[in-house]
Amino acid sequence: MSDDLEGYRAAMRRWLEDNLPRRRGPVVRAAHAVAPEALAAARSEQRKVYEAGYLGITVPVEYGGQGLTEAHQRIWNEESARYAVPLPGGIASAVTLSIVLPTLLAHGSEEQKRAWIPAMLRGDEIWVQLLSEPGAGSDLAGLLMRATRDGAGWVLNGTKVWSSGAMNADYGICLARTDWDAPKHKGLTWFKVPLRDPRVTVRPVREINGGTEFCEEFLDDVVVGDDAVIGEVNGGWPIATTMLAIERGAAAGSGPAVGGSGGRRRLAPDLVALAEARGRADDPATRQLVARGHILDWLQGQLTARVGRAIASGKASPAAASFIKLGLGLKDPERAAIAMEIAGRAAVAWRAEGDDGHTAALNLLNGRVYAIAGGSDQIQRNIISERLLGLPREPSVDADKPFREVLRNAKSWGAKRA
Amino acid sequence: MLVDLSEDQELFRETTVRFIETELPIDRTRHLHDDPVGYDRGWLRKAAELGWFTLLVPEELGGGSISGEGLLDAALVAEQLGRFVQPGPFLPMNVVAAALAAHGTDAQRAERLPGLIAGTEVATWAWADAAGDWDGGAGVRAERDGSAVALTGVRGVVQDAGSADWLLVAATLDGEPVQVIVPTDGPGVAVAPRTALDLGRRFADVRLEGAVVGADAVLAGRGPEPLEAQLQRALVLVLAETVGAADALLAMTVSYAKDRVAFGRPVGSFQAIKHLLADQALAVEACKAAAGAAARAVQAGDPAAPEVVSMAAAAVGERAPEVAQQCLQVHGGIGYTWEHDLHLFLRRIQSNSALYGEASWHRERVCRFHELGGERGGVERATTGEAG
Repeated sequence: MSDDLEGYRAAMRRWLEDNLPRRRGPVVRAAHAVAPEALAAARSEQRKVYEAGYLGITVPVEYGGQGLTEAHQRIWNEESARYAVPLPGGIASAVTLSIVLPTLLAHGSEEQKRAWIPAMLRGDEIWVQLLSEPGAGSDLAGLLMRATRDGAGWVLNGTKVWSSGAMNADYGICLARTDWDAPKHKGLTWFKVPLRDPRVTVRPVREINGGTEFCEEFLDDVVVGDDAVIGEVNGGWPIATTMLAIERGAAAGSGPAVGGSGGRRRLAPDLVALAEARGRADDPATRQLVARGHILDWLQGQLTARVGRAIASGKASPAAASFIKLGLGLKDPERAAIAMEIAGRAAVAWRAEGDDGHTAALNLLNGRVYAIAGGSDQIQRNIISERLLGLPREPSVDADKPFREVLRNAKSWGAKRA
Repeated sequence: MLVDLSEDQELFRETTVRFIETELPIDRTRHLHDDPVGYDRGWLRKAAELGWFTLLVPEELGGGSISGEGLLDAALVAEQLGRFVQPGPFLPMNVVAAALAAHGTDAQRAERLPGLIAGTEVATWAWADAAGDWDGGAGVRAERDGSAVALTGVRGVVQDAGSADWLLVAATLDGEPVQVIVPTDGPGVAVAPRTALDLGRRFADVRLEGAVVGADAVLAGRGPEPLEAQLQRALVLVLAETVGAADALLAMTVSYAKDRVAFGRPVGSFQAIKHLLADQALAVEACKAAAGAAARAVQAGDPAAPEVVSMAAAAVGERAPEVAQQCLQVHGGIGYTWEHDLHLFLRRIQSNSALYGEASWHRERVCRFHELGGERGGVERATTGEAG
């Protein structure tokens, strides 16, 4: 077995060296619109990887994958890290392969899996999640996207937001309300929605950091067939739970890799650079800050490794992943604030993009991504306190009543209570 | 604290807990709070029968561990001691036993190890200066006088010095750090007790005024490395104990939040309390990860162990005391009473968090390990000179 794996690794190494360019700098996941010609070229690059057998490594053969083990996948992750692996839609392709595809594997029908998954692997179909709405983020089940029966098909109307990379995507996996008389969690259904349809408007959202990684989508009488329904009608919530767990796992896995004790990594290079630029490397207060930042990174790595091991061995419930998520949500802003303090005026005004001061400022602006996205810190605290500590659930005012009676206007709150 | 216990380790952990619950549950530790010694010698011998003092000593010297990784086994015991806020010299005795095993002469081992392993002799490690700070032995001058050595200086905040039969004193001889075995009843040794924050611990200052011992009382292993190795072992054990105490205190507090009713609801149903406790649970989980990483790094002889133990000590040292404070907050008035066990945990956790270096000292050690800055550099300097 291990001989097989070593042979697999050796062949992969040769293929990588012959077919892909070495990566320079960090992985850049295009978060801007890619021109059509460039997108088409990048799709054929992805197809090359797929045809060599290195995409969908663990996906069953009948759905176009290789049907190999997690060990094979880990070898790819290790070996390919030094190469520029094509991701045609940038972050949208990452979402397709790491979130949408596993969700479909778990919940798609046999025909859907046979038709859609190979298309994703080949690069023919780039999918994103159409999940959050302007009025439904952490309270996802309170969403208002409406899907109405119309003859043999469905008509969708509403607004989605925070869809990473939708400007480069072909399809969205969209959660919509199909029963307004059922309680909020019991009237939701998943649809495959074409994003290049003229009745769909995709607009970039300009973010706090000036970038446009996310989009909002306006669906205006978009018509889809019954074959676009994923899972059961009104049975969408358990699928959403699967998807969020997959997303949380992907986020946790994207943290710093930790081998062994995690010692001997370079002392927080960004903080050291900022301190040295101001001649503060010998200043006791600055040294405390540098060490704090360095230790925060190390601790999050150790926490991720520990909780990951405990979940994998069955000694902790999967809900324990919320420790990793809340850890990141609290760590990142603290880490960013430390860098800002060490940077001083260097992060107030910088000479060039990519300066250490500019990077510190960007990290500050991005610092609350994990504190908000994929279930805010507050949601993670609910999960930890209720599912792990066993504290009583929050009394719910909306979970059991028909959704059309659920409060949607804050001004009515006092009146309802009185 | 460690995720992957072997079956033998799990059995050892259960035996340890059963022993504590039978011999010295928390309510009975209270009888010892006013006792100047703070623990019972008969109890210590019984604990020794369970193997508490063999773990860091190789089998050929009469020791032995459960898993072959003695420091992990010892950390497992320390964690349980924390859970039940146990008194006694488990930590310094193990550090001293490990030092003798690693750096003692054959004669020193033959004379001293059997008593430690059997729990019939008590020894402790005297490493700090008069202010309780790390000085790499600088605060005690050792001078040769024929076949004898005379020691002069102060060792501060020495755990269980008042009840110990002998001390392992960090000193300086011929300009080099050494460690010397000094009987507490010898000439020129004066022990002055301090009053401790932790009601289950005893500390004293030891004044050495020309205390004379034989030259054969100096350990064979010299220089800063043995001291650094002992510091690392002490940190692994003290961190494990802190984690055990914080984990038990949090469990006690969660249970209280489920039972205590106010405003017609269990207080643990209020989001203000639930979220506070979720944050403390995250902190305890992070402390376990940190302490576990430190134990594994030191056990494995990881070259980064000096950094890893200090990262862990800084992380636990700032989080665990905050956990204790927030647990007191959730308990409210009842937690502020002498009768409630909460303060026993709070005192242990806070005391442990400074015992072998407070968080800021460890952060500075991390910077020196990485040679941050111009003139200073290297961990050797951080542990042999003053730091912080």
